[in-house]
Amino acid sequence: MKKTLLILFVIAIFGSVRAQESPYFVTYDHHLEEPGNLELEIYTTSGIPRSGQAAYVAPYMEIEYGVTGRWTSELYLEGQGTVGDSAVFTGWRLENRFRPLKREHWINPVLYLEYERTSEATRIQKEIVGGGPDVSSPNSDLQATKNHELEMKLILSGTTHDWNIAGNFITEKNLSESEGFEFGYAFGVARSLANLASGNPCRFCRENFLAGIEVYGGLGSTEDGFSPHNTVHYVAPVVSWQVSDNGSLRFSPSFALTHEGSPVLFRFGYSYEVRGFASKFVQMFGGRR
Amino acid sequence: MRSFLCAVIVAVALPCVVVAQNATYHQDPNWRAPVDAALRTNPLAQKPEAAAGGEKLFKRNCVECHGTDGSGLAKKNSADLLLPEVQSQSDGALFWKLTNGNTDRGMPSFSRLPEMQRWQLILYMRSLHGAQGSTAKQSSK
Repeated sequence: MKKTLLILFVIAIFGSVRAQESPYFVTYDHHLEEPGNLELEIYTTSGIPRSGQAAYVAPYMEIEYGVTGRWTSELYLEGQGTVGDSAVFTGWRLENRFRPLKREHWINPVLYLEYERTSEATRIQKEIVGGGPDVSSPNSDLQATKNHELEMKLILSGTTHDWNIAGNFITEKNLSESEGFEFGYAFGVARSLANLASGNPCRFCRENFLAGIEVYGGLGSTEDGFSPHNTVHYVAPVVSWQVSDNGSLRFSPSFALTHEGSPVLFRFGYSYEVRGFASKFVQMFGGRR
Repeated sequence: MRSFLCAVIVAVALPCVVVAQNATYHQDPNWRAPVDAALRTNPLAQKPEAAAGGEKLFKRNCVECHGTDGSGLAKKNSADLLLPEVQSQSDGALFWKLTNGNTDRGMPSFSRLPEMQRWQLILYMRSLHGAQGSTAKQSSK
């Protein structure tokens, strides 16, 4: 087992890879993972507290795999640590994205389906629906409630004049309780800082940076009604830096537009892509591809 | 805990097993650029120095499948970019293919790259063809 993990680690470090990641943390665009590639991503969402709240850090890991050119599958493992409280594993998610259209269009739809097995203590805020997460109650109370949830998104995204413009419409249903449907949204625009790639090898060239802005929040639920009141909305500048041919860093401060939730979220992320993972995985066990 | 571990194994291992990639490369006869797209000209055609940036982008995005020399031998299931049936296509047609990809055959869309960077890639692809020609001439001397 240790040997297998070591080999996987070596592949991850030395594998020939590429990364030109979208800078968004919440918004999805229409670009899926390349078939056979595996992307390992580590993120944190840190919440700056209001009075009466405690600061928290919610790390999560994402394992993304390109099953085919039009189907990407991802597994999330997430946790959360709150100052003066505890650190807990809050659950896992399995998501799938399907791209129905083969070619690039002005608007490219992607269908998103996710199953979540998380507790009420989840604070990664990968998406916000309804009124947003509970950031005031103690972890012991929140961990007691485990939810099965189904989440669906309609992702619409396109590229115009080198700007990516993406909009996500989110619906979430808690299967554990007789709640209604909760709704949310995310919009983002982003672009590369350079149109042309320079001829020199460099890490700080403008073409290695993508920047943009995203806006996301909850839209209420069928039970509580559709209203901007009692919901969380954020505006967030986003930037990604391709630090190597195989990895990129992302950063985004998110600022609350309402008085709910955390007033500021800091998001960090690092992603590493292993190209041809499927082939390498099979070869590792003596198979041929 | 057990069901969670099972879910992790299924989520990661199953797609690895069932993934279907091309075993050998054959040009897809249905993958053709529309006429208006094929007529587009490379705005960097008069700027050969931009090919250096294209080389960097090629190494970053294309080498894994098409090989460092573009011959496609690295995986044998990707296009040999030096073939006459590839090089004889117009810049516009290659740009369209780069932009749209051919997802059913494993070629991803590179529309996430800025338009000029995609043209840089086309410029570099053309220089690959030239480099191969000069190498062949030298070896035949």
